[in-house]
Amino acid sequence: MKIKDGIRAGFIALGILIYLDLIGLPKTFGSSMVVTFAVIVFLFSLFSLRTKPAEAPAPLPSVLVNGLIIGVITGLGFALITFGFASLQAQDVKVTDVFAQISHENIEALTGVDKVALREGQSVVPGLTKLAGYFILAGVLGGVITQFPASKVLHIGDEEKRSSARYWLMLALPFLLFAFFLALRIEGVDIGGSEENSFGLVLIYACIAAALFAVREVKAGVHKIGFSALIVALVLVIPQLTDLKQNAILGAVMIFVIMGIGLNIVVGFAGLLDLGYVAFFAVGAYTYALISSPESYIVVNLPWFEGLNFWAGLPIAVLLGAAAGIMLGIPVLRMRGDYLAIVTLGFGEIIRLLLLNLRDYTGGPGGILEIPSPNLFGLDLGNPKGILYLGMAFAVIVTFFTIRLRDSSLGRAWVALREDEDVAEAMGINLVAIKLMAFASGAAFAALGGTLYAARQVNIFPDNFALDVSINVLSLIIIGGIGSIEGVVLGSIALIGLPEILRSVDEYRIVAFGALLVIMMILRPEGFLPSTRRARELHEADLDSPAEFEG
Amino acid sequence: MAMLEVKNIHTYYGNIHALKGVSLHVDQGEIVTLIGANGAGKTTTLRTISGLLKPRQGTIFLNGDDLTKYPDHEIVYQGIAMVPEGRGVFSRLTVLENIELGAYSRSDRGEIEANTQRVFQMFPRLEERAKQVAGTLSGGEQQMLATGRALMANPKILLMDEPSMGLAPILVEGVFDTIVEINKEGTTILLVEQNALMALQVADRGYVIQTGEIVLNDTAENLRRNPEVQSAYLGIN
Ligand SMILES: Nc1ncnc2c1ncn2[C@@H]1O[C@H](COP(=O)(O)OP(=O)(O)OP(=O)(O)O)[C@@H](O)[C@H]1O
Ligand SMILES: [Mg+2]
Repeated sequence: MKIKDGIRAGFIALGILIYLDLIGLPKTFGSSMVVTFAVIVFLFSLFSLRTKPAEAPAPLPSVLVNGLIIGVITGLGFALITFGFASLQAQDVKVTDVFAQISHENIEALTGVDKVALREGQSVVPGLTKLAGYFILAGVLGGVITQFPASKVLHIGDEEKRSSARYWLMLALPFLLFAFFLALRIEGVDIGGSEENSFGLVLIYACIAAALFAVREVKAGVHKIGFSALIVALVLVIPQLTDLKQNAILGAVMIFVIMGIGLNIVVGFAGLLDLGYVAFFAVGAYTYALISSPESYIVVNLPWFEGLNFWAGLPIAVLLGAAAGIMLGIPVLRMRGDYLAIVTLGFGEIIRLLLLNLRDYTGGPGGILEIPSPNLFGLDLGNPKGILYLGMAFAVIVTFFTIRLRDSSLGRAWVALREDEDVAEAMGINLVAIKLMAFASGAAFAALGGTLYAARQVNIFPDNFALDVSINVLSLIIIGGIGSIEGVVLGSIALIGLPEILRSVDEYRIVAFGALLVIMMILRPEGFLPSTRRARELHEADLDSPAEFEG
Repeated sequence: MAMLEVKNIHTYYGNIHALKGVSLHVDQGEIVTLIGANGAGKTTTLRTISGLLKPRQGTIFLNGDDLTKYPDHEIVYQGIAMVPEGRGVFSRLTVLENIELGAYSRSDRGEIEANTQRVFQMFPRLEERAKQVAGTLSGGEQQMLATGRALMANPKILLMDEPSMGLAPILVEGVFDTIVEINKEGTTILLVEQNALMALQVADRGYVIQTGEIVLNDTAENLRRNPEVQSAYLGIN
């Protein structure tokens, strides 16, 4: 990459930052704005300096220089502009008349100097120096990261060219991030984290994501077993170290992991596009609610029935979920592609409308309240930490089943179904049976997620089961990489976990994630952690095209 | 009694009457060829026999057993396998995965393994490329794969739909050699071909189909000499 390209990338990044500044992002983000902007610079540097699939990796010095250039341009440029705005405001010029969002809060978020201090002549230079420093650091860091195999995220690299130093760094990365998280917590270092310690959560996400890539990268054999054990240990201690709110968010992520793995069977393995997946989530949640809550129609009307506990309700909910999957499966057996998508979409809405309108049984919009929490040998799991551990346990079980399914002859039959229904049938594959199996197992997992969700929420309402749940689950498996289980975890973090910490900027997060999806589909259509089969499918053009003739 | 006995089948695509009473039979150990022009109904005949299309009328018997009573996917369990037109390999799966799927209808691990070895012996190319994605094979190799995959079902009768289609002349010979070899090893073959010249050389008997009807039925030898066949299908005037 030439210096010229670095300069161009720097100015584009600066433009984006100024735009975000002008639409008023700093006001909403408060003191964490500087770090967030630095992350943007980092990502931008990473993306613009990454090597393209066909090219050899750029040499370190060139990448460093360009990273530095991006950092300097964004850092100095942004600091200068902010300095200008701050000086104007210090002299009582009404900047907001022209730029509505460049208020005192904006300056305060970026420089740490509040309205009064600014008037009294306190300098914004130290704050801006810090800001520029962060940006430069971020730019350089982005450049450095392109040298790691982890940046393989951004392209399909050459396996041979990875040196052993990179390999070890990659394996160490999750632990380094985790250590960073620990250091933050223990010493209470403030790097712009908000009250809920969003920054800590971001580190946990990064740590898990790095672990997912590392587990995939690590060489097979003893190596792999040992490393995976370390990662498992790390994941198991995380809930002990995170706070209530962080655990609650991670718990939500786990529920979506469980659902993602289920939908992955239907969409990823069997290739059946199901847009009404939320229906089975709802069936699971409402089944458990109906047979457990003392407020529910069943418990209220059957004098001898006191309601089941979590462990008794769970299998019933899961079975009913599977049955619902088959019920949806039968009428759509003959449908393919877009027709299937539309019908399943409708099914999802029908279930929600039923929940809303069967007032007597489901409580209508008032939902079902007082759903009992899970309990394990007298240990109350009805708290974020308990739900998170339970979710992790379920996710492991579900993963185990899914891997067994994938590697069985049923798994192969699903692939055949996706490729060519007729040939598959001629080979003796019972299409009806395997399609129903896909719907049933996917639905059972969704119902499992739904049961956990009901237990976590205590009160559930039809609105919790709207179309956006289906869309989220589908998007997360696409982002993660269809057909891949690690991809589901990564996708859940990206789509469920990250937006949670951005709650305060609600309006923007949807836009941002829409943009992310679009960019994603262009840059890496197979998702971040695709299954090898899928990567093959979507990169067919890169492979030698089959020759029709040969001599 | 004939091994495969197709009697007076009528198959439709919606309103299109594609097969208008096709009858044919194949005896144990034979190679029988079905030749005809584009759109005559050859593929339709094979798809009807293998259960992918349901005839509105007529019967199909394999060793005295009525095949039309079985659900589509169970036909292969009765001993009929097909090498589909255009090969139909699962292009995103590896060669080995394709071959394993060919044995989907069977459960005896040991025999499947032995069968795989047999296929690899017949097509050493496939063994070399076992881990390669099928979509990246050459046309000739894909044909080998489609054939090998069908053999994995250990069929009594193999239906082949234009195996020489789109292959260079030098490879076509190889395809027909393979057909003879498979037949020698005891598999009965019903072969659909546009390349009538080659087909009639390896076949014992032949049928000529025209717009959904069988118009000629004779030994391969006689068909080769038949002036009508010569001018219409063999390019001899
Ligand atoms: N899916 C379909 N829908 C409607 N009509 C079809 C379909 N498939 C085939 N046909 C029609 O049925 C007739 C027989 O087609 P078939 O494919 O059996 O011919 P064929 O002898 O195999 O020809 P070719 O040598 O070109 O493969 C043709 O007129 C064709 O247009
Ligand atoms: Mg045909």
